[in-house]
Amino acid sequence: MNNFRDEYKKEMLILPIILIIIWYFICDYFQLIPVYMFPGPTDVATSFVKLIVSGKLFKDIFETIYKVLFGMLLASVVGITLGILLGWFNRLETLCKLIISILRPIPPIAWIPFSIIWFGIGVGPAVFIIFMGCVFPILLSTIDGVHRTDPVLIEAAESFGASNSQMLTEVIIPSSLPYIVSGLKIATGIALMCTISGEMIGSSSGIGYMILTSTNLFDTGSTVVGMLVIGVIGIIFDYIFTKIQERIFW
Amino acid sequence: MTFEIENVSKTFVSNDSDEEVLALKDINLTIETGKFISLVGPSGCGKTTLLRIIEGFVKPTEGTVKDDGEIVTGPSNQRGFIFQNYSLFPWLNVIDNVIFGLNIGGKPEKESKERAMKYLEDVGLKDFAERYPHELSGGMKQRVAIIRSLINDSKSLLMDETFSALDVQTKHKLQKQIHEICKEQNKTIIFVTHDIDEAVFLSDEIIVLSRRPGRIKKIFEIKLEHPRNRDSEEFKDLISEITQEIGELEDE
Repeated sequence: MNNFRDEYKKEMLILPIILIIIWYFICDYFQLIPVYMFPGPTDVATSFVKLIVSGKLFKDIFETIYKVLFGMLLASVVGITLGILLGWFNRLETLCKLIISILRPIPPIAWIPFSIIWFGIGVGPAVFIIFMGCVFPILLSTIDGVHRTDPVLIEAAESFGASNSQMLTEVIIPSSLPYIVSGLKIATGIALMCTISGEMIGSSSGIGYMILTSTNLFDTGSTVVGMLVIGVIGIIFDYIFTKIQERIFW
Repeated sequence: MTFEIENVSKTFVSNDSDEEVLALKDINLTIETGKFISLVGPSGCGKTTLLRIIEGFVKPTEGTVKDDGEIVTGPSNQRGFIFQNYSLFPWLNVIDNVIFGLNIGGKPEKESKERAMKYLEDVGLKDFAERYPHELSGGMKQRVAIIRSLINDSKSLLMDETFSALDVQTKHKLQKQIHEICKEQNKTIIFVTHDIDEAVFLSDEIIVLSRRPGRIKKIFEIKLEHPRNRDSEEFKDLISEITQEIGELEDE
């Protein structure tokens, strides 16, 4: 198993290395594309070192992750609570169904104008957009999880005399947990997207802001650094959730 | 007297059409405390429905079920129910599954676990206390499900084809165990099965239901002494008599 894993990991690196070499030759060695159009690997590396030395990169990464986690937290509290209620009480779900169906397909970015009007500039609008982007996948997967609770397990708990609140805490919530976690996993991807877009418009900090301002200064090296950082943050979140999912095996 | 089933009928309305299906018709039955009763009959005769009505999972369309004089309105921990397909909580390990009912009832966890270990030892699962359901075989899961119900000391136990998914050896072993434990504790058992051998081996009374709509067709009292000998002539005669009775119903 371990052997297989190591081999697998090594193979994953082949293509990126080849691409970086090709990229190097096109942009740096033969200089077929000017830097203001697209930077070569050496420009990116230089920008990366500069951003690290100045401490700016860490500050921006921290800002972005902070917003992502804050928005996700709010979306989780609302999405999971509401999801359990709507999943459990059918009539409540019917009551809310149309509103959810209308709000859900609105891209979170469409909330940017209102987010700026309501929350000004700074952390507020980004958190609000993340919230709007994440709350629906979390809500819907929680409702789905509650609906998929094996009715036999509910009956079993009833035959042991479980009260309504015990049914919720001892059966419904643990049984929906895998669905809730996969909803959260989907939401982190959306949260990153929302954060970057939010930062590009209603913000003065974070990776999104850095990407936008660096392009204005023709510092395309920093732009690519910002983009790659988002990718890496995404991989880390994904890895964390995959690990959590392994522990929720039912 | 534990159960009084009075004029129970059940009509199901199918979801697709408004067609009504009469599943049970005018069931009248008295079940005395400490008796082991089996419900048998052709498939689709409503024996499981009757069991679910007695527990309170399903409401009868007409009639009432009384448990010790009280009308059944919903499930209760006074009536343990063992399902056909284990129904263990997959997120709990074996011992936490076993003490589920005790936890719900607010019993102190330490004592519950000690009791659970004794039960697990009795059915040979002591070493599996920390395992999760998906790591167990079908027979092991069903043993866990059985002691999860037994440990609550409910007055009666309703079992829905509890042993049907097991291999013959495991089945025979569990049949003996459940019989001993229930006689010891004077529990009332209602057992739904399609296995006539099992019904004759365990029951004080076997109730044969007719084809849909299910009615009580015949009641056999089994007076053979325990432990019953499967090879004896009387045992074999009873099996063929009951099998014939059900066979006639299937042919109708």
